[in-house]
Amino acid sequence: MHSQKLFIGSHAPYFHNGNSVASKSYNIMFAALPAVGMGIYQYGIPALAVITFSISCAMLWELIMNIAMKRPISIGDGDAAAIGLILAMLLPATTPWWIVLTGTFLAIVIGKQIFGGLGCNPFNPVLVAFAILMLSWKNYLDFDAALLNYDLGFKMLYPLGALKHFGINAIGDFTSQGLLMGQQIGGIGASCGLGLIIGGLYLILRGYIRWEIVFSFLIGIFVTALLYNISDPDKYAAPMFHLLTGYTLIGAFFLATEDSSSPVNLVPMLLYGAGAGIFTVLIRNIGAFVDGVVLAVLIFNVANPLLDKIRPKALGKGI
Amino acid sequence: MDGKIERILAYLIATIFLVVGVVCYAAFPNKAPEEPIRLMLQSSAGKILFDHKEHSSEAGYDLSCTDCHHNMEEDETPSSCGECHEPESEDPIKRSEAFHLQCKGCHDDSGSGPVECSECHVM
Repeated sequence: MHSQKLFIGSHAPYFHNGNSVASKSYNIMFAALPAVGMGIYQYGIPALAVITFSISCAMLWELIMNIAMKRPISIGDGDAAAIGLILAMLLPATTPWWIVLTGTFLAIVIGKQIFGGLGCNPFNPVLVAFAILMLSWKNYLDFDAALLNYDLGFKMLYPLGALKHFGINAIGDFTSQGLLMGQQIGGIGASCGLGLIIGGLYLILRGYIRWEIVFSFLIGIFVTALLYNISDPDKYAAPMFHLLTGYTLIGAFFLATEDSSSPVNLVPMLLYGAGAGIFTVLIRNIGAFVDGVVLAVLIFNVANPLLDKIRPKALGKGI
Repeated sequence: MDGKIERILAYLIATIFLVVGVVCYAAFPNKAPEEPIRLMLQSSAGKILFDHKEHSSEAGYDLSCTDCHHNMEEDETPSSCGECHEPESEDPIKRSEAFHLQCKGCHDDSGSGPVECSECHVM
């Protein structure tokens, strides 16, 4: 889907490679399966309820908006379903149905349809919805409070919350290996690092997401966290901890890479990813919020049109 | 895929998932277990996460029920602290005071466990 070659014009007839918006959406959902599967395995039927309800509600909101705005029915392209799935992956397994219903409304109607639908949204619809939910009903989205009745055999404390509230001594029990294997509480599909990496690499290899954004985002987080860690190891967590906790990996592979709200040129993509990564750690380390991924990516969604002004020099210009 | 087939598939997915979602929500409501695992205590000075299981289990601190649930009869199901100790009451002592005496008192006596405000209270 992406090629390093510059645009090459040629005469018709053109060949269609068979790719479509629908195949992209279904591939994204397919790539999310390992992480989602782990979430359902850990949290059981309540997690399945949130995921299935979120996907169906997102599709219904899309259908309602299509009919209300007298536009062609677009739920067949799978984009609404993918938005519903990714939103559900961020939520705790105990999220009430009315938050899912409101969240999908915010994502599809406020985040996407009022801007004109697919490809016209300036922000990632999932992040718009999640940010509003996070600010409106923070107790329902506080993983420590939401998952009180679960005992999964590992330390049942949201790692980033523990770090923020109780300092570095509180995260001694978390190992990188455990975090990678999903031994942490969090969003239904956001806590199994290995599942997200497998899904993300599949999307990169199939060309559905841009590796430039993914890697610059992860490097931005790693380098910033490393600098903080070097400056005061007793206060700031190691970079691997930041890479494997919270929404880092789902943010890198599924959130920051959303087509319409991310840049398309090489340098802007690198700046966008790195900037969101840097802001993520800044919010986590010195900001008021426990996790910074959602707001950091949203901020760089805003910066996206500006960043995309940095373009390759036009052929012949400046001669 | 043809546009019409895609649309029919989408209707099918939306309907099936809606039914599955509603059934799962209705059949498996979030219910607290009889013996709590963890409790989130709300207070104006910030919420407190209390690990009930860690305090009561043999693998944890192995406290007996009556160590905290002080008015409990034998074979009786312990009642929650807030049932008697209300947020604003004189008799018995109000909830915050009861928790401070019970939690901090025990932590002080045993020489372990948090005693500073910020070690329990989270804004």
